[in-house]
Amino acid sequence: MAGRLRLGGRRGVTDRAREERRLGWMLCAPAVIAMLLVTAYPIGYAVVLSLQHIDLRFPDQGGWVGLSNYQTVLSSPLWWTDVLNTVIITIISVTIELALGMALALIMHRAIFGRGLVRTSVLIPYGIVTVVAAFAWFFAFDPSSGFVNQLPLIADDKAWFGDRWSAIGVIIAAEVWKTTPFMALLLLAGLTTIDDGLYEAAKVDGANAVQRFFRITLPLMKPAILVALLFRTLDAFRIFDTIFIMTRGAQNTESVSILGYNQIISRTNLGLGSAVSVLIFIMVLLIAFAFVRLLGVRMAEGRPGT
Amino acid sequence: MRRGTREYSAWSFAMLLVLLFSLLPIVWIISLSLKTPKTVGDGRFLPAGGEWTLKNYKVLFEGGFDNSPFIHPLINSIAIALIATAIAIVLAAFAAYAIARLNFPGKSIILGGALAIAMFPAISTIGPLFDMWRSIGLYDTYLGLIIPYLTFSLPLAIYTLVAFYREIPWDLEQAAQVDGATPFQAFRRVILPLAAPGTFTAAILVFIFCWNDFLFAITLTSSNNARTVPAALAFFTGESQFTQPTGNIAAAAVIVTIPIIIFVLFFQRRIVAGLTAGAVKG
Amino acid sequence: MVCGAVLVAGCGGSESGGPVTLNWFVATQPGGSIQKVAKDCSAASNGRYSIDVQLLPTDASQQREQLVRRLAAKDSTVDLIGMDVIWTGEFANAGWIAPFPKAEATEVTKDVFPSVVKTASFENKVYGAPFNSNTQLLWYRKDLVKKAPTTWDQMISEADKLAAQGKPALIQVQANKYEGFTVWFNALVDSAGGSILSGPTTVSLPEGPTEDAMKVMGTLAASPAAAPNISTSDEDTTRIGFEDGSSAFMVNYTFAYASAQANAPGVFKNMGFARYPRVVANKPSAPPLGGFNIGVGAYSTHQDLAFDAAACIGGDKSELTATELDGLPPSREDLYTNKVVTKAYPGFSQLVKESIDAAGPRPLTPAYQDVSLAIQDTLQPPDRIDPSDVPSTYDELKSRLEDAVNGKGLF
Repeated sequence: MAGRLRLGGRRGVTDRAREERRLGWMLCAPAVIAMLLVTAYPIGYAVVLSLQHIDLRFPDQGGWVGLSNYQTVLSSPLWWTDVLNTVIITIISVTIELALGMALALIMHRAIFGRGLVRTSVLIPYGIVTVVAAFAWFFAFDPSSGFVNQLPLIADDKAWFGDRWSAIGVIIAAEVWKTTPFMALLLLAGLTTIDDGLYEAAKVDGANAVQRFFRITLPLMKPAILVALLFRTLDAFRIFDTIFIMTRGAQNTESVSILGYNQIISRTNLGLGSAVSVLIFIMVLLIAFAFVRLLGVRMAEGRPGT
Repeated sequence: MRRGTREYSAWSFAMLLVLLFSLLPIVWIISLSLKTPKTVGDGRFLPAGGEWTLKNYKVLFEGGFDNSPFIHPLINSIAIALIATAIAIVLAAFAAYAIARLNFPGKSIILGGALAIAMFPAISTIGPLFDMWRSIGLYDTYLGLIIPYLTFSLPLAIYTLVAFYREIPWDLEQAAQVDGATPFQAFRRVILPLAAPGTFTAAILVFIFCWNDFLFAITLTSSNNARTVPAALAFFTGESQFTQPTGNIAAAAVIVTIPIIIFVLFFQRRIVAGLTAGAVKG
Repeated sequence: MVCGAVLVAGCGGSESGGPVTLNWFVATQPGGSIQKVAKDCSAASNGRYSIDVQLLPTDASQQREQLVRRLAAKDSTVDLIGMDVIWTGEFANAGWIAPFPKAEATEVTKDVFPSVVKTASFENKVYGAPFNSNTQLLWYRKDLVKKAPTTWDQMISEADKLAAQGKPALIQVQANKYEGFTVWFNALVDSAGGSILSGPTTVSLPEGPTEDAMKVMGTLAASPAAAPNISTSDEDTTRIGFEDGSSAFMVNYTFAYASAQANAPGVFKNMGFARYPRVVANKPSAPPLGGFNIGVGAYSTHQDLAFDAAACIGGDKSELTATELDGLPPSREDLYTNKVVTKAYPGFSQLVKESIDAAGPRPLTPAYQDVSLAIQDTLQPPDRIDPSDVPSTYDELKSRLEDAVNGKGLF
């Protein structure tokens, strides 16, 4: 144990600590290189583009315009409607997915028979190609060619996609169906790290199932829950495929990602589109920041006591 | 411990709900895949008048390896997803171990940076990436897709594995090092087996990400050399320029889900391996 | 780049003496006409070139996405392009496609419908060889309606009557938030005697005709004859809606005939056809105009050969192949008496010809995508248009279009 003491103090670090540092960087290096290689230039380029007026169809009209693209975006009511849509869809779908995912994780963990079947079938929705799943849901809810309207209690000609809120409802349902498995998987992995002995001890102490869940399960699963929530929220905020296939953003169901797509791809107005992307990025950063600060996702913590 | 019939029926009911929730839309997709352009819009699960057809499936495999719209892309999807998953897990395991167990400056930057990279809207990056890959020569190649897949799946894999490695008690590693093992040996013999649930979870997530990706696949490929299934779906045609190839796409989706089922079935048992009693207690 | 007027085999060729490979970027057609045309034209070149088909996705906006990406990167492998009629202004202004030299321009536009020639031109130069065209007809149920209605208002009120009697009464029209919506709106405005733009950057949009067009949209959307899925309807869902027997009328492209024949024989035997409905009683309608023109990439290293190939693809033989294998209307007027065409459109080949002749092209401007998006943003779904208060919608559309034409604003 002697080698662990920091004999160097403020004047320097011990050999062991230095070796640890080098090892740490070396282990991280391949991953870091893989991530930067692809994104350093494109992200930097996108930021630079957002400060210019660039439209591929009018190649002669380029030039630096400072923050005017951002001004155009932030002063447009369309942008704020889309932000509202995105926030609503994100909050509702992530909340439902967390609750459902937890229930599914518990079932997958504790099922007394057919575990393989349950675990596999829960994950299948996540494995279906996204555009196909969205199209299948769209087709199912279409008044003329779908089956939903032929169910009892539902009007035969209810136009699900003709009204903003029912369309958003179907979009959320499709998203929840598709990505609850993601949550369930991460939560299940978290569940498996809890030692059964704790439950036995609690039972002996007279705790019932609900108390065991809230006092033992939830607190011990906190890291897994936070990782799942963080990534799912960040992904949900950038929702694109499902909305595009169901309504293409009509009836005020457009999300910020569809807005970005329209500017960059349809209008080839790269300056404006890059500004939209950077703004999306900033908002997503704020969300991540909130997670880290408020909910205490402390990932970089090392050994206790250092 | 004998389980009463009430417990069994409660679980049966719960499982039935779960299966219904997960599989009803899948059954719908399967039913679409068996319909003809005549019945595709009839809104029923079972086509009226018994008009089933396997033609949608046959068409996918017509033309053999070179000319079928589907076989080569399917092989590409499987190969690319497997390779990318394997590399991603190795890289993420190294990085996550370092971040969770070692002390070195720059940890938060790496974690934060990884998150930032995963969060930037991909739509803005595919243009420059297309230009980059064409000049380097990675356009329309396996590697050209594997590298972006690594980039965008590593953050999640790293975060998942870090959360796992942190749960493993510190004593184990110290005990191994007292016995004379190097940090790397400690990692391989002690930590890795205990992190199996997290590793297999991360593997499933990365695989499915690569499997489902459409944006990079359609941008960075131009032929069946590297095109994966989601991108290949965009080239399916219906009876006419304006008719949606609903049946064909549904059939392709069904077939493409089978490898996922196999992959998950294989890995799910290892997700709940859990901590062995002996190593933890004490 | 351009090897001069002398067509020498080795000019720009990869191997001396071998045929040059010309890459044709185009979406495939289900009947295989693209591949056959490529083969036939390669053979007809007597060894000078061989056309290699590079497939694009089936969806038009995805085709454009792939092409724009390559052309913006100055891809020199792009020799020939299958261009949707609405891309000409955009691609030409951006310098991505090459103007046809005078001799070739005359050749590829000979005998072609004037409306189609307009879609292939920009600033008085020809940028594409018209290949196939397309237009919409009014399809109706002969057993429900004795005579086809001539105007939209007539059609709507007939449908209302049928609905009141409990008979199939829906009017199928494409109104999803996509290009098909702009097709509908443009056809209505042109039929009413106006036009959306009067120049590449000048908004026309005369108030009278535009408001007539909007009233038609609003009235249809509010009537019981509107399909419940009208706000997400496209060419495919409308043909399904007609084939399942629930509709009395449909406006759709020529493929609807062959589709009904194959998929809904019961409906097919009562299927009638007529010209696209009028907006104003005394003004002949301007049906929608679709189709593909063959452009030559500006960065291609074999432009001479490419112009030659484009002329072959736009020639009589190729167009008839497209009609025979895929049911696509030719863009040359003199082909409509050919038996291939009369066989593909039994009894309505002259109607198709007349419709393409009278068709109104969509706005010809480099900022076409912006214009189309602006129209969709303002008017889609059609039930948001109040037929009794169109002036305010008109004002909103006009100001949005002013922005769009100059590429300003957020859509």
